[in-house]
Amino acid sequence: MPRCIGAVLARGLQRSLTLFARGQQICRFSTIIHHQTVQSSVLTIPAWACLSAKAFLVGRVAPLIPSLVLQPSRNLTYISLKKGKRKSVKSVVKRFMRLHCGLWIRRKAGYKKKLWKKLPARKKRLREHVFCNETQTKLLERMTTKFWKRNLFVNDPYKKYHECVNLKV
Amino acid sequence: MSFTRKPGGKALDILQNLPRISLANLRPEPGTKKAEKKRGRGQHGGNRSGRGHKGERQRGNRPRLGFEGGQTPFYLAIPKYGYNEGHSRRAQYQPLTLNRLQYLIDLGRVDPTQPIDLTQLVNGRGVTIQPQKRDYGVQLVGEGAGIFAAKVNIEVQMASEEAIAAIERNGGMVTTGFYDPRSLAVLCKPVPFFISGQPIPKRMLPGEDMVPYYTDAANRGYLADPEKIQKARIALAQKYGYILPDISKDELFHMLSMIKDPRQIFFGLSPGWVVNMAEKKILKPTDDKLLQYYSS
Repeated sequence: MPRCIGAVLARGLQRSLTLFARGQQICRFSTIIHHQTVQSSVLTIPAWACLSAKAFLVGRVAPLIPSLVLQPSRNLTYISLKKGKRKSVKSVVKRFMRLHCGLWIRRKAGYKKKLWKKLPARKKRLREHVFCNETQTKLLERMTTKFWKRNLFVNDPYKKYHECVNLKV
Repeated sequence: MSFTRKPGGKALDILQNLPRISLANLRPEPGTKKAEKKRGRGQHGGNRSGRGHKGERQRGNRPRLGFEGGQTPFYLAIPKYGYNEGHSRRAQYQPLTLNRLQYLIDLGRVDPTQPIDLTQLVNGRGVTIQPQKRDYGVQLVGEGAGIFAAKVNIEVQMASEEAIAAIERNGGMVTTGFYDPRSLAVLCKPVPFFISGQPIPKRMLPGEDMVPYYTDAANRGYLADPEKIQKARIALAQKYGYILPDISKDELFHMLSMIKDPRQIFFGLSPGWVVNMAEKKILKPTDDKLLQYYSS
């Protein structure tokens, strides 16, 4: 009986199921002194789990699907656990760039999507790198630390944009 | 009239009769302490204490930064692009302006009568180098070329053309040398390294991408041909319109012409030597294999 249940379950659920199985076996140890050896294969499911197998397992295992278990954490860490420092939000670092003059640049959303239906003028506008406005800039500044606010790279393609030249205020 | 005047006079008499200073007698100078502003108290600032009316704002339950009520937030709607990709694998060079160099020399923090090295700059607290943060050294920047007037023998990791011209115009020498991260750490903080008791490592040669830079005479690279460097000096003088002073006739010629060996980190110390700071001794290797390794 355990073997057929094992065959029915999808491969992706193996890991969650081994955790489940092991968890159940550990619970049993506290109540039953004489225990069997713990085997970490999918096929050794406790006997009482076989009874109403499908409904029981699917109901318990469905929420353990990786896409539902592994949710991204979008929070900003003001004080980290280990060092007590502020952390940058990585999604911001991967999408935006800060120039030393304080401006942030980004790409336009949709610059790679469905280009076949877009006219050349629109495609050109989407290809441009644009600045962020004041509200957006304030948000991005708060989401990153000063590490991202100064770079001294050699052969930097954005070197000449880091300082504002001939700016009339 | 013989009248011995006491220094302080009446003030001292008063002071001697006053009670002992204690916390009860002390008070801060008027104007130094400003009263802290208490937010949201009193008739007009009170009631809701500056928190607004009901809702998440008053109750302190506002969502995280960047959240837009469930709509895909701005910082996620924008597509990813590799602006910062591989940033931790890119070399960084701390800029050193000629303004700053002149300032350091004028204040005596850096000695122009000796060859100026990254160690001298760090000792004089002219630049702050962090080898652990992908810093590969110092780059000489041409800002302040107009006011620069010091004859120096300087060794940096990168230099701009204007900076080289400004230094050579004053009769100095510029060399650009490569230091791998370990050698750079040793160069920036020599004393802790010597205390650790390790032999001085040999400086590694630049990687494939930096070899063209350091073999180019225009950059005064340490691996470039000396004759080509001489020609480049003349060419630069013509380009920037100044007469190249002849260093060989200078009294400090010996100091100005001091250049390090490509495998050497410190002037006067070879790789493989161990410096004992406590007993002020230098230990040199005698084994053949070691000598062969360190002189390769």
